[in-house]
Amino acid sequence: MNRRTFVKHVLNGTIAGSLYLVRPMGAASLEIPEQIPGIRGKAYDILNQNFVFIVDITRCIGCGSCCVADKREYNVPDGNYRTWVERYVKGFSDQIYVDCPHGGLDGYQAPRTDIEERVRDTFFVPKLCNMCKEAPCVQVCPVGATFRTPDGFILVDEKRCVGCAYCIQACPYSARFLNPVTKVAEKCTWCYHRIRKGLLPACVQVCPTGARKFGSMKDEKAEVYDILKGPGVLTVLKKEMGTFPALYYKGARREVI
Amino acid sequence: MKLSYRIRLLMVVSGIVVLSGGGLLLKKSLLPDSFGVYGPYRADAIVEAALVPIRHGTNAPCFSCHPYEANIHKNGRHHSISCEFCHGTYADHVDENGKKFGTLPVKKGKEITTLCLRCHNTEIKARSEEVIKTVAMPDHLKKQVVKLTHVCNQCHHVHAPLKYIIRAKQITGLMEAGS
Repeated sequence: MNRRTFVKHVLNGTIAGSLYLVRPMGAASLEIPEQIPGIRGKAYDILNQNFVFIVDITRCIGCGSCCVADKREYNVPDGNYRTWVERYVKGFSDQIYVDCPHGGLDGYQAPRTDIEERVRDTFFVPKLCNMCKEAPCVQVCPVGATFRTPDGFILVDEKRCVGCAYCIQACPYSARFLNPVTKVAEKCTWCYHRIRKGLLPACVQVCPTGARKFGSMKDEKAEVYDILKGPGVLTVLKKEMGTFPALYYKGARREVI
Repeated sequence: MKLSYRIRLLMVVSGIVVLSGGGLLLKKSLLPDSFGVYGPYRADAIVEAALVPIRHGTNAPCFSCHPYEANIHKNGRHHSISCEFCHGTYADHVDENGKKFGTLPVKKGKEITTLCLRCHNTEIKARSEEVIKTVAMPDHLKKQVVKLTHVCNQCHHVHAPLKYIIRAKQITGLMEAGS
């Protein structure tokens, strides 16, 4: 064992130890039945995890529950969205009309009236952080405040972030924004704090139709495991960007960007 | 003044030691703890992110204190709906010690119709029949021969929308058979 690996092991140990000490703080949340099996009751193996998020467009009804839950979970300032639901309307001339009033926070109560032609297809596309394996936002951060954790989450260290907004420009999915209150970059974390407590992300938890699915690929009984193993067509957004997202879309038309 | 070779060598070596040591100390003081454990970032930030308290409970803690509503909700068509979507978050209602400190608002009147139509409006064409039952609003009221001012929860229980409908059908069915 050389010095480098020794230091790594020691620090890993201290991190694991500190986690163990502070765990009872979330005691109230531990009374809630576990939703992601295999996380509670043992040390979290950060180097050996594989989480997947699947959005099933064919089941999304555009109610905006996810957006409401997301805003409440993080107290997201008005006008900024960690997740949002876009409405795509396709006319018979193949023209695409996309709108997203208030990020879908108020739901979609009325159809669009400003479209002249006959409408062929309407569908909703929920958007959130894609958790790219080759994340452009991580590459451009000058202070190491945005990073990809060993378990595959792109997180923002709000103590290190200087609010330069490079990452906001770099993100091909427009998932990031500058929080007007804290002045640091913020984005969807797939509810990392909930996952580490064995709970589903807030948006997945409130989705009434099961359009949002989340799970671990290490769990062979998980719904996402079956979907990814099966023959269903799954796509990722902006594949040509080479970002390798961990967020998959089921039933996405090719017009979805 | 002419220095001997040994003294000059000592000065150069000590200079290197002081500068490099100082540099290392400076680097250590500037870098945050746990920087570089997994990569060029603060590994403690992962722990901090994991320890953020949750605000949404699931339906389970709601059901434990509200068994009457829970029984209706679990057995109705709306069983997949989260309590917190309509009523507000668990964190605004119960504190860390499990004690109630805030009252969650209950939707009334037209608010309920607005809430129902967020999901059940046929006019939004993206809602397939396999996923959800939808209605067109004034048409549904006309078809059921009720006043156009009716709000949804005058016929449908909000937690189990078909509860009263099924009951009414049972009663009328019985009456028809009896009469």
